[in-house]
Amino acid sequence: MALLGLRAALPGPARLRGGGIPWSVLRTYSSASPKEKAARNAVCERTELLEAVLKARVKQLQASNVPEVMVNKVELAPLGSDKYQDPLGKAVAPGPTEEKPAASGQGEGPAQPSSWVEKLKKEMYIRQLKVEQKLSIAASRPALEGQAKAKPKGKAKDKAKAKVKAKKSQKNQKSAKAKVAAARSHAVSHSVYSPSKPRAVAVKKAAKAQRSQRVPGAKDSNQYKVLQQTILSNLECFLFLQQPEEAERLLLLYHSSPVKRRLLNISAYDVVMRSWARKGHLQRINRLFSMLESVGLRPSLDSYSAALECMGRNQSSPKVIQRCVQQLKKDGFHVDELFQQCLFEEDEKEKVLSAIRIVQPNYQLPPPPKPQTCKASLLPDFYSKEKMVSYPKLDFSVQELQERFQQQLEMELDNTVTIESVESAKPLTPQAIKARKVLATLRSQWHDSILQALQKSKRSMSRLKTASGYNMLYPYLYLLPDEEYVGIMLQILNTLSPQGESLAVLARELGSKVYNRYITQRKLRSRQLEKVQEIYEDYIHLLAKDSQPDEYLPREYWEKLVAEAGFGPSLNLKDCSWPYMLLMRLGMHMLELLVKAVKVPRNILNPRLEPKLIPVLYHIYSFRSSWQVGLIKPHPIFSQIVSDAAETLLTFNSSAIPMLCPPVPWTSPHFGAFVLNDTKLMRFVDGAVQHQMLLEQCPLVNLHPVLDALNQLGNCAWKINQPVLDIIISIFNDKGNEKLDIPPPISEAPRPPAASSNSSTWNKSQKHKFLLCKKKAAEMHSLRMDALYKLSIANYVRDKVFWFPHNMDFRGRTYPCPPYFNHLGNDVTRAILLFAEGKPLGPNGLDWLKIHLINLTGLKKKNALQERLEYANEIMEEILDSADHPLTGRKWWMNTDEPWQALACCMEIARASRSPDPAAYVSHFPVHQDGSCNGLQHYAALGRDLIGAISVNLMPCSVPQDVYSAVAQQVEEFRKKDAEQGVKIARVLQGFISRKVVKQTVMTVVYGVTRYGGRLQMEKRLKETEEFPEEYLWEASHYLVKQVFNGIKEMFSATRDIQTWLTESAKLIAQSGQTVEWVTPLGLPIVQPYYRSRSTVLNCGMQNLSVKTSTTNQKPDTVKQKNAFPPNFIHSLDSTHMMLTALHCLRQGLTFVSVHDCYWTHALTVDVMNQICRQQFVALHSEKILQDLSEFMLEKYCSPGRETRALWQKKLMEQLSNVPRTGEFNLKKVMDSTYFFS
Amino acid sequence: MLAGRAPPGAAGRCRRFLAAGLRPLLCGLLPPPCWATARRSAGQWPSPGLRVPEAAEAERLVQQLQRPDVSLRRFIACPRLARTVQRCLQGGAGPGPQPVLLECAPGPGILTRTLLNAGVRVVALENNSAFLPNLQSLENSLDGQLKVIYGDFFRLDPLVSGTVKPPAMCSDKLFETMGVAAVPWRADVPLKVFGILPQRKERVTLWRLLFALYECSSIYRCGRVELNIFISEKEYKVLTAKPGEARAYQALTVLWQVGCEIQLLHMEPWSSFVTNLKNGGLAIPKTRWLPNDHLCLVRLTPQQNLFTGALKPTNSATFIFMVKQCLVKPKSKLTDRLNSWSLDNGGKLLRALEIPKNAQTRNLYPEDYRRLFEVLQNSSVFTETWFHDEVLESIRNINL
Repeated sequence: MALLGLRAALPGPARLRGGGIPWSVLRTYSSASPKEKAARNAVCERTELLEAVLKARVKQLQASNVPEVMVNKVELAPLGSDKYQDPLGKAVAPGPTEEKPAASGQGEGPAQPSSWVEKLKKEMYIRQLKVEQKLSIAASRPALEGQAKAKPKGKAKDKAKAKVKAKKSQKNQKSAKAKVAAARSHAVSHSVYSPSKPRAVAVKKAAKAQRSQRVPGAKDSNQYKVLQQTILSNLECFLFLQQPEEAERLLLLYHSSPVKRRLLNISAYDVVMRSWARKGHLQRINRLFSMLESVGLRPSLDSYSAALECMGRNQSSPKVIQRCVQQLKKDGFHVDELFQQCLFEEDEKEKVLSAIRIVQPNYQLPPPPKPQTCKASLLPDFYSKEKMVSYPKLDFSVQELQERFQQQLEMELDNTVTIESVESAKPLTPQAIKARKVLATLRSQWHDSILQALQKSKRSMSRLKTASGYNMLYPYLYLLPDEEYVGIMLQILNTLSPQGESLAVLARELGSKVYNRYITQRKLRSRQLEKVQEIYEDYIHLLAKDSQPDEYLPREYWEKLVAEAGFGPSLNLKDCSWPYMLLMRLGMHMLELLVKAVKVPRNILNPRLEPKLIPVLYHIYSFRSSWQVGLIKPHPIFSQIVSDAAETLLTFNSSAIPMLCPPVPWTSPHFGAFVLNDTKLMRFVDGAVQHQMLLEQCPLVNLHPVLDALNQLGNCAWKINQPVLDIIISIFNDKGNEKLDIPPPISEAPRPPAASSNSSTWNKSQKHKFLLCKKKAAEMHSLRMDALYKLSIANYVRDKVFWFPHNMDFRGRTYPCPPYFNHLGNDVTRAILLFAEGKPLGPNGLDWLKIHLINLTGLKKKNALQERLEYANEIMEEILDSADHPLTGRKWWMNTDEPWQALACCMEIARASRSPDPAAYVSHFPVHQDGSCNGLQHYAALGRDLIGAISVNLMPCSVPQDVYSAVAQQVEEFRKKDAEQGVKIARVLQGFISRKVVKQTVMTVVYGVTRYGGRLQMEKRLKETEEFPEEYLWEASHYLVKQVFNGIKEMFSATRDIQTWLTESAKLIAQSGQTVEWVTPLGLPIVQPYYRSRSTVLNCGMQNLSVKTSTTNQKPDTVKQKNAFPPNFIHSLDSTHMMLTALHCLRQGLTFVSVHDCYWTHALTVDVMNQICRQQFVALHSEKILQDLSEFMLEKYCSPGRETRALWQKKLMEQLSNVPRTGEFNLKKVMDSTYFFS
Repeated sequence: MLAGRAPPGAAGRCRRFLAAGLRPLLCGLLPPPCWATARRSAGQWPSPGLRVPEAAEAERLVQQLQRPDVSLRRFIACPRLARTVQRCLQGGAGPGPQPVLLECAPGPGILTRTLLNAGVRVVALENNSAFLPNLQSLENSLDGQLKVIYGDFFRLDPLVSGTVKPPAMCSDKLFETMGVAAVPWRADVPLKVFGILPQRKERVTLWRLLFALYECSSIYRCGRVELNIFISEKEYKVLTAKPGEARAYQALTVLWQVGCEIQLLHMEPWSSFVTNLKNGGLAIPKTRWLPNDHLCLVRLTPQQNLFTGALKPTNSATFIFMVKQCLVKPKSKLTDRLNSWSLDNGGKLLRALEIPKNAQTRNLYPEDYRRLFEVLQNSSVFTETWFHDEVLESIRNINL
């Protein structure tokens, strides 16, 4: 085996006791190590460790191998006499006989392996729970205990003695029966966990074969994974902290216990090896290799890379290196693979290379892999080099872009950005000045007390870690300088709303803030940033105006540069995400410190009270029916001071600010967007791992179109529409305006009724009023803050050009990453955004601007474009008045659907029309084209529904069709018929059926609204209709929803069939215990993340926190899987359509961004975009989408290799193969339809 | 209380009743025969000698109710059980006039007939119209001993605004129809109620009744209404738990024990009841920690002295809030709780109350909570802090 090879390579013949025992290697090697001095220093430590290793080894051997136990027993007499060891050993020994299943499954026998496996699973689950409990106990164990057991050495001995004692007492009892039972359970657990036991694996495989994949392998179990991940990230922390001793100690803690050892996988050992390699301790690495062998794990490529790195660092002898390389090859690896696959950090690569070159002086790095080209059928020409056009240039020089990159980098290095809020324009009151002073003093006090509390908790933890218990949080409090933790906590305090926040939210925020800074540090430390910087500097040549045109896409160019620089995959950081549990636990710990440490004198506002420190934050429970939610609320005193101080500085995460340079292109699911900030390609709910796993499994080349589309959206440069922003800010700083969607300040909130001194004497209506006021105030506060954030960020970048890096949700719908201010926002935010790039209006541009304006007003929806244009020309006077005197004139713009965008558009039209040559006027204004009921458009195209296609404008028509009116008409027809036949409710409804009543339901039918939800919508609409008799509400809404569904069925016959087909398929899939997965026509793999939630309780001091966990082997939530599939599938289609349009717009040199089914471009290029949009829609739906889906699913869920006997599978197969038939709509017609997107 | 027409002769005794605000229930009834009046005025009617259907017959009736929109209901179908319940309900009654008995959701009317036969005056509040005709014909065959009302006791006084649609109804209206009038809190029990708590809403119902009790609203507006209800054994265990009992001792325990005298009248296995499930299943709710083999007939009589101290219907919400906050985490220390509310003199308070400093919240007796509250209320600590805001908010959240 691997180890033997290594050992043989060691110079020096000395082998201490027991020749066959691998650990002896350590001794041998260290005595001959070139670093003798270090070795001598380490002797003391080593003996300690050796003891631990020994102990571990013995235990492990007891469990797995009888003969070796014998050998060891000779050496370790105190571990008990053979008499009682033997039966135990035999029961456990994984001999070739079939005794184990019989022993463990007695009653059930091997005939029912499935139930046996289940039993194992159950048992394992319990065990895991126990381990988790233990960990949490260890985490919460008071420091006192830690002091008692000061040194690890003493502890180890104590433990060993205790063990012996326990054994002896057991011996005395001579309860053989109990022992057999114990041995049996031991065997069971062992067989499940250790992958090296061949027979256990065989048993598992057999079970698997019988039960197909519905029984997930034991190793996939969630709890198990979380723990494994926790250990790994702890080890990585120690690697980061450069504390290999600590890392090894933790590893041994698990390695030495046969139960815990199963939590270790090869990567855990690898991390420890790497941390030793960095220090150049080869003997330690060797010992880890022997430990690997002892537990039957195979060294990975990373293990060898660590060993070689260490050898390179030490300039080891060629012989040693030669042996290592041979061993590597023997294990089926290749030297080249080291440089192709290992994610090197710091100088690891150089060291490995130097080691290799010691034995192969002429070794050359392997050439970078050839770039692959995506062959998606929807993009036949897109990637072909012949038709390549150069990437559109930005209006910046290389120099300018480089400066911007530096600014962005500095901002991200700071992690947070503090900006002046737009409220700072207001004059300061004396009261505010006083309150600010008070707050400043308090803050400095809090800073000190938090720092103290933090240091104290660290001290108590470090005492604890030396004891038997091990605090999982310990390394996480050392990753950053203390000041940073304090800063994070104070930041939370500053942003806490007066209404308070739930513990879970705060904990997650704290935890992820620490995580983000740690990632930044790691990127700095591992020299990843340096490399990115280097590449980026070359990369911007692709975009800058003053460099040669390059015929590459951003991603391709980036990949090319990386390959040229020879960085290989090392630009990616090793995956080091922290388990969600850990994040929460760390957050809770910090929150507890914060709550305990931050106090305020009670009499600060009212000097008459006695001075006494009271907590600023208090913890309280809120009861929501059967739920209890823990909240952290600030004391009213604190809220008062904060509101008095009216501070105008806002602190944001740097990722909340738009980027100041073009985003780093997405090249893989792990890499892209911000320079430093960790961004996920796919957004997902906390703790969900499925999407990431799916993306990783997917060949990267299949993701290229999606990545390129995201890069294209992110590369759009923006600037601020300053005049509009100024008007908005002036209203915002005045009193707001609810009608114009500018939230008024809290001071405008309704006052609670005259506060009677004793609230307990209030009567019900007083209480009710008070509550209403509080509720209103809370709503106003959050709306106001949201607007404040948006406007302040906009104001901060008012003179800059900026970019929104994009990512997507699990269906492929794209979103800009900065959360507050982006083009997906409301009317107000959209109105202040302009393209940074300007283009002349051209011949049709001004007309498009006018049509766009009328579209924004919501008037003339049913009129042809020409009529809208004529209308705009008619009211030109109003438009110009709005543009010139927005707040003092006739205010025509205020009475439109989207007033702020309308105002911005008025101003643009005014400027353009007044310019000498409107066609040459350079416009930055984005013009929108909306899909009309986009969901139904996709359904109608899928089903080739003729009537449906007409009503959602897939067919060319002189005026836009309105599907809502059409459905309303249809429903009215049904009603008339029913009324004639004497249906009472149909008569009651006479004159009440209108477009308005049916609109919401029709719109949401696409997204899977049920009859229940539809009825509620109807009821709401009817309630709004004043004349409608109240007593008929229920009956009428019930009737209406039925008729609307019927109407849609009539008009979109194939649509309903498709919807039913999708729903039914999803139901059967989910019922068979699997989740619904599919691949979009563009190659993006999608999985629906709905599972029956299982929550784990985090035991924290302040409160137990129930954390929902979502995992791979959880059972799917059938209802959600089924109901969500049709809308999710349609969304995956509309996102595909958008991406296709984006990519083709890129090829035509258009500026293009999207808000889902609303596409934006310059006025000049609207016509081209419209054409591309239609072309791509036709191309997309010319694919056999449903057929492909059916085939994919049949392959995935019913492939012939698997068991086919089951009834569900037959049913599923039948269902999936039975693709609904389509109508006779001619898809090509879309090309000529004006109102398809308009 | 008795609500028959006041017999002409018994003016002296009846004046007291009328003074208490009693109004005749059944207008237009013929004056009952003379021999009956004496017993009637004592709340006791002569037995009408009704036939009580056998269990199988009742089951058939119940089974007709299998429409999917009817939620799970449990009925007394067996005459033996009905007799037991009737004896329990009548047990412990003093010699004086007996209050009227409100029977919630009688269904097939097995218990109703048994009660009537025992001479009890019954108001039957039935929420399913399917059972109404049967009950109404029974009502018509008697001369005022039974009154049938369409309504749902467990949907009394719904909090949603707007018109109340039957079977939901307002307690005001119910009492008016029944002719029950309000009496002072310290007076005798004005009304007895019998019912089986709907299983799915058991917890919620217990909480809602509790709020009504402490606020003196809904059914408790007319005085100390005595509830005789069948609840699952696990909830019974919670209601009667002793301090320190893990899992059983909860906020609900403390509040009910402070508010009511709790008497166990009878325990009956789940199997003795009939459900309206298709398969005739018993639908016994699951339980993990507490025994749950029976339904328990529990009598909840509000304490006469509930509002004699600092606790008042106006401030009782604070008391409820305090108890709930304390017992969310039963193992937490009381001092920590007090401190986290910025009640800075918590230590002194506890000493004054002779509560050990390190007492866990689950170790306090219900009476201790009441004393704690009274001390805090008197020192007006609550109104000085943020506490009352929270209480108000919590009312909104809980009192759904």
